[in-house]
Amino acid sequence: MKNKNKKSGMLVMPNRMYIFAVPALLLFSVFWIYPVLQLFYYSFTNFNGINYNYDFVGFKNFARIISEGSLLNSILNTLLYTLIIVVVSNVIGLALAFMLNMGLKGTRFYRTAVYIPALFSAIVVGFIWSYVYMPSSGMVASIVDLFGGEGKWLNLLGNYQTALVSIAAVDIWKNIGTTMIIYLAGLQTVNESYVEAGMIDGCTDWQLIKYIKLPLISTTITINVVLNVIAGLKAFDFSFIMTNGGPGRATNTLMFSIFQMAFNDQMMGKASAFSVVSFAVIVLITIIMLIHMNRKEVEF
Amino acid sequence: MRKQTAVFEKEESKVKKFLASLLVMVLSLAVLTGCGDDPDSFGHGSEESEDGDITITMLFSGVATEDDFQTMILPKLIKEKFPNITLEVTELPDDQYYTALKTKLASGECPDIIMVQPKYAGTNSVISLAQAGYLLDLSDLACLDLAGDAAKQSFTYDGKVYGISQGAAMLGAFYNKDMFEANSLEVPTTWDEFLNCCETLQQAGIQPIVMGDKDAYVMQFGLYQIAANEIYPNNPTYDDELRTGETHFTDEGTWDKVLEMYYELYEKGYINTSSLGLGASQAMQMFVDSEAAMTFDGSFNLQGINAAGAVDFERGYFPIPAENGDTYAAMAPGGGPAVYSGTKHPEEAKAILDYWFDGESPVYEAYSKDGNAIVTYGVGSDKNDPIFDTFLDMYRDGKAWYWCNQAWPAGTETEMEALFGSMIGGQGTTIDDITSGMQRKLEELLEQ
Amino acid sequence: MGKKKTKVSRVIIYIFLTLFSVIMLSPLVIVLSSSFRTPGNMTSPLKLFREFSLESYVTAFTKMGYLSEFVNSFITTAGSVCIIVLLTSMAAYPLVRIKKKSSRGLYYFFIAGMVIPAQMIIVPIAQVFGRLHIPNTRFTPMIMFVTCSLPFAIFLYTGFLKSVPVELEEAAFLEGAGLWRRFFTIVFPMLKPATVSVIITQGMWIWNDYFFPMVFTTKRTQYSLPVGMIQFLGDRENPAQWNVLFAACILCAIPLIILFLCLQKHFVNGIAAGAVKG
Repeated sequence: MKNKNKKSGMLVMPNRMYIFAVPALLLFSVFWIYPVLQLFYYSFTNFNGINYNYDFVGFKNFARIISEGSLLNSILNTLLYTLIIVVVSNVIGLALAFMLNMGLKGTRFYRTAVYIPALFSAIVVGFIWSYVYMPSSGMVASIVDLFGGEGKWLNLLGNYQTALVSIAAVDIWKNIGTTMIIYLAGLQTVNESYVEAGMIDGCTDWQLIKYIKLPLISTTITINVVLNVIAGLKAFDFSFIMTNGGPGRATNTLMFSIFQMAFNDQMMGKASAFSVVSFAVIVLITIIMLIHMNRKEVEF
Repeated sequence: MRKQTAVFEKEESKVKKFLASLLVMVLSLAVLTGCGDDPDSFGHGSEESEDGDITITMLFSGVATEDDFQTMILPKLIKEKFPNITLEVTELPDDQYYTALKTKLASGECPDIIMVQPKYAGTNSVISLAQAGYLLDLSDLACLDLAGDAAKQSFTYDGKVYGISQGAAMLGAFYNKDMFEANSLEVPTTWDEFLNCCETLQQAGIQPIVMGDKDAYVMQFGLYQIAANEIYPNNPTYDDELRTGETHFTDEGTWDKVLEMYYELYEKGYINTSSLGLGASQAMQMFVDSEAAMTFDGSFNLQGINAAGAVDFERGYFPIPAENGDTYAAMAPGGGPAVYSGTKHPEEAKAILDYWFDGESPVYEAYSKDGNAIVTYGVGSDKNDPIFDTFLDMYRDGKAWYWCNQAWPAGTETEMEALFGSMIGGQGTTIDDITSGMQRKLEELLEQ
Repeated sequence: MGKKKTKVSRVIIYIFLTLFSVIMLSPLVIVLSSSFRTPGNMTSPLKLFREFSLESYVTAFTKMGYLSEFVNSFITTAGSVCIIVLLTSMAAYPLVRIKKKSSRGLYYFFIAGMVIPAQMIIVPIAQVFGRLHIPNTRFTPMIMFVTCSLPFAIFLYTGFLKSVPVELEEAAFLEGAGLWRRFFTIVFPMLKPATVSVIITQGMWIWNDYFFPMVFTTKRTQYSLPVGMIQFLGDRENPAQWNVLFAACILCAIPLIILFLCLQKHFVNGIAAGAVKG
């Protein structure tokens, strides 16, 4: 019986179905995978990004990256950044979604307000926030002053301890709308009868959320976490626009370091080696994450 | 069963509608893409149409302003002189320009005229591009002789000239004359006087200097001036010797001294303590709004410095004075246009540049009026803003040095900025850490 | 008692939501207020609404060549999205329906592309364009828009396709329908929620992206809105025209904002649908 099923399955879904994937595969291989392989190749050369008379240098680029210690700094910054945006975006995004799913009046307005920053380009967002964070007369400083604090001493982007957190906050501000909306849709798929059953059993609101709603939207949680992790590991925009990696190297993320190396220092070979290593790191993190989260949800 | 087929049919008609509209979209797109006979939509680089009209493309770094010289005036004037040439100019901000240039070179779709920086400065430095064979030899252009040897030297690689300087640019301290007068201060002529000046202002409750170190490149504005006073007069070939290994950043009395002098300004609070959180344009605005007495900036930012602020006051400009009073200006030929070696119209592109920089054409006149660069010859060279007079006199007397990064491999200055940033950010970085870091970076970059 | 409690919690929720909305919107007020200033007035942007002038908008509109850039943006965005929908829905089909290691491997091959940012490999990409002699036109960036969207769109489509029952297809198979007819008449229509979310998520980044148009176009007539916008962004030698930039930014975002307000329901469902089912 089982065998027969499989056979008829082969008839209905034959291998020539793969032809459907050919156009995408072609495009993907030529314009994405081939350049990646080329990058792997450059990681063993001293290519400067301009001059094609480069030499093969073996593992020198890799050795240099490791001995320099800038790799570790970038990885730590990136991980911290990712952790912040994953935790904060998901906690607040989920909380907002719960609130906006209660059928309150004005839901549309609040939803729009939370989502609108996502429609603006990162460059402009970065610039606006440099005024929000500006020392002494910026928006945050003025508010602190208003409440009797010393806004004058608040130097969020210029301070080693706060710079990374501050740019992560901007990232959250821009993208939390998307996270919230995904949760909102997830909650809308929750079958009300389970919730009603829980209410009849005398669950408190908190218990309803914890034991009924959250498990029912676990897929959505996984999706949001995965998307945020990927966004965090690829973080580049706000380090580039707002702080230029500074102060010192406090906001150097992996992607920022690579970009800086390739385009500022003109060391394409070293930047490529850096890319290869970061690629390995990102894949490793993704795998660990997938193992820790419920695997079934992300995969097939 | 029948019911199901009905649903099926209904579903199918919907699908057909969708497919039809998708088809229409794809087709119309194909038509649009296919309109290759429209030169505007399909022209790449430069293409010749039937009547011999050609299009020359030009990519520059800059910002689109009203009556912008590069994007508005230049193409119009070129069209007047060469009716068969259309000059297509596009501008991008610095960082984006570098990225775009590098990728356009890689894809072979580089515009005919591009902007290059003198010597080794930056990613689009004339030497790195010429080395890779991307630039056309411009040695035979007549306009090169007008600009003088210094400008020509800055764009020479292997005995050939590959670019034209747009004019000189300098670094200095913009100051608020009204504030100086109110505190009965005069323009300082020695480093000690300069420090006293800052002290007096500070005592009077005025922020002496404002810098926007969040944009770390502004650190160069002060440091290069001090280097011009304290390093090059003692050893004019210091930077050349860095390349051969005869001198080092770590040598005593060179960069350690420069960094120490500059750091003093931070230590004593003469430069705003929050500088690392402030952007360059925010700092400039604070100066313009009279919230600080001085700011270190380049002549290229005069327009921004002169913009109307919260308070009206008179602006002045002076070079940071040397310790011994023998002050040099940090002044250098600025970047300028070069021609891409792969261009299809080398002669036309060269003719445009020759006309532009001939010292008398309407283009040159409009260009010198634009005021972004300081012209040193021809029409308008006597009409530069009087605020620059001191500098120009020093330049003519040979009391000027180029900017350090023009002689360093690109990337050295970013290392310096990052390390200096961590020193003023209180990360325990010492001056020795900075100089040895710079030296390490230099050696690594030279090895490439 | 219980009623009172819910009332109190409602008030708390309202306070929280309002506060949060203020945080979300207040930075944008700076943009709005600055965009209504004259281009030269850069004095502290935090002094809100001291001036009301449309000059910055006029400057931005004319300097950008708004209409032609709008048309370019529209064509490239709409065109790319159509192609993405077609290619990725098709690609997802065998990836889900064929239950073999090879299909699973292919799926991961595509998905792995998601973790690579374009900035990292832009030079090798440009070299490929050079080797294939692909000229710079206003349509060239579309190639990269489509390529970059493949992993995420395939991710959404495969996730959604898994929940589409096989039975309908089997019935059609028995009636003698071929693969293509089966896909376009049965499967594709069922994927509508995923299609909406692909259109919205990918359309939004394509509309806002300046990177690929900047790299793969040469002339002003080929520029899209975001490239036109960054021309107002200054650099170390050219102070930025912030007020004009803000006006340009609003002009650039306005089509999206209008679209969002009109189609809010679709937007919300669209972004979520694929992801939720995934």
